[in-house]
Amino acid sequence: MSGSVSAMRAVQLTHRLLLRQLLTRGRVIALLLLGGVTILAAVGVAVSDEVEDTVVTTIEVIDGLGLVLVVPIVSLVFASASLGDGREDGTLVYLWLRPMDRLPVVVGAYLASITISLPLTVGPLAVAAAVGGAGGDGITATIVASVVGVLAYSALFVLLGLIVKNSIIWGLAYVLLWEGLFTQFSEAIGQAAVRGYLRAILSDLSDVRLSDALDVSTTTAIIVAVAIAVVSTAIAAMRLDSMEIA
Amino acid sequence: MVEATGLTKSFGDVVAVSDVTFQIGRGITAILGPNGAGKSTLFRMLCGLTPPSKGTVTVLGLNARRDRDVRGRIGLAPQQDALFDRLSALDFVTFTALTHGVADAEAEGQARRALAYVDLDADDPKPVGSFSKGMRQRAKLAAAVVNDPDVLVLDEPLTGLDPVQRQRMITLFNELADQGKCLLVSSHVLDEVARLGSNVLVIAQGRLAAAGDYRTLRDQMDDRPHRIRIGTDRPKELGAVLIHRGLAEGVTVDATGVSADTTDVDGLGRAVAPLAVEFGAQLNEFTPLDDDLESVFRYLVERRR
Repeated sequence: MSGSVSAMRAVQLTHRLLLRQLLTRGRVIALLLLGGVTILAAVGVAVSDEVEDTVVTTIEVIDGLGLVLVVPIVSLVFASASLGDGREDGTLVYLWLRPMDRLPVVVGAYLASITISLPLTVGPLAVAAAVGGAGGDGITATIVASVVGVLAYSALFVLLGLIVKNSIIWGLAYVLLWEGLFTQFSEAIGQAAVRGYLRAILSDLSDVRLSDALDVSTTTAIIVAVAIAVVSTAIAAMRLDSMEIA
Repeated sequence: MVEATGLTKSFGDVVAVSDVTFQIGRGITAILGPNGAGKSTLFRMLCGLTPPSKGTVTVLGLNARRDRDVRGRIGLAPQQDALFDRLSALDFVTFTALTHGVADAEAEGQARRALAYVDLDADDPKPVGSFSKGMRQRAKLAAAVVNDPDVLVLDEPLTGLDPVQRQRMITLFNELADQGKCLLVSSHVLDEVARLGSNVLVIAQGRLAAAGDYRTLRDQMDDRPHRIRIGTDRPKELGAVLIHRGLAEGVTVDATGVSADTTDVDGLGRAVAPLAVEFGAQLNEFTPLDDDLESVFRYLVERRR
């Protein structure tokens, strides 16, 4: 006989299912190639005679390619698809019409997204930092900023997948326009973008001054990122509860 | 076990389901209606997947949209084909059992039994994404029954199945009904409904056009004048004699034949050939023009107005 499903069990079941659904060879190869571009740029830094300070230049590469493209886009691809694909193709009903609370389903989807996104971002970016010559602090800064970025972006994009159709397009517009372009126009916008906090962590831990980086500590940046993740996840659970299922 | 009162669902200006009221108990109830009649919307409201614009619907006295635990007592086979394409049938149905709260130790066994019910090989490692439409349909049905639910909501469950599989599924539905379960089965095919059981709800244009015993419904339909196309080289003479001898209530004549309205299709069919011989006319067509389900529903809806 059936019965209700505990929260922990619902997280576990959703996580296990979505890992299998999300992890396609095409996605992994495409996103590894994206990370590979950062490694290639870092190799360029290491072998170039024109680079005066490899630490600074490598951190700038990590900032300009890793935090602008690799971290948000890898997170976007997996997190927006985690529940968004099911919403669009109709399989979400197999998670929705179940004796399970909504929050554990969203948490399971979030965990599945970061389980895949973390190695696909932190790995290539850490290699890039090492190859480029960012040094021990630079590598640590890269790893911490990448992890924090994946945690924050993934929660935002799980929510996005439940709110809009074609979430990849909306997510790219958010990453490239809001986070990549508009944040350069004012500090206020910068404070309303995840990237600003990731740059603050990268700058603070590597001790490399990045132009226009937010003047906040690593601790503050991590707290803000965690807050973004928690609030986004809570809103996503409410959205899942109230939305119409195809 | 299922009760709807004044159930209405609108999407903007479009009214998909309008003021539908019914009560359904144990056994099979067939929801009959043409494509786009509102059957799937009705099912979605019943399962809580979409809230009604007006009215209420309860399953086992509870609201599936609000009450978490009742969702574990509903088995749904949705109309759409989408499944978790990377899973095998066994993994998919086992996952369904687990998410319904079936214990780990029992989930795979129940999934194997459910797959055997629908004649799918539980040991087939192929992902359901590579399945034919009929196999996907059966995987959905296995998932719907795996947790032994009290209420089964099956949206066009026989679509894509071959005649043997259809008969097998109908037998399965009757077995489940005999166990005291409530089955709601939608279809747009009259013959399927006739084989599913006697209790029918007819939905047309979002409204409840008829409800009750299937045989009563058929009687209602038999009152309806049928329009028959009779192709002949002497349409005027044939049309006149059909009216004169009371074989048709009305006729429309054109250059190639007669369209006759009659409540006695069999009588007309038996009479028309001797008439043609009597008048030396050639016959080249005898075709019902309005035997499709949609015209039947239109007739039933108009009768209720």
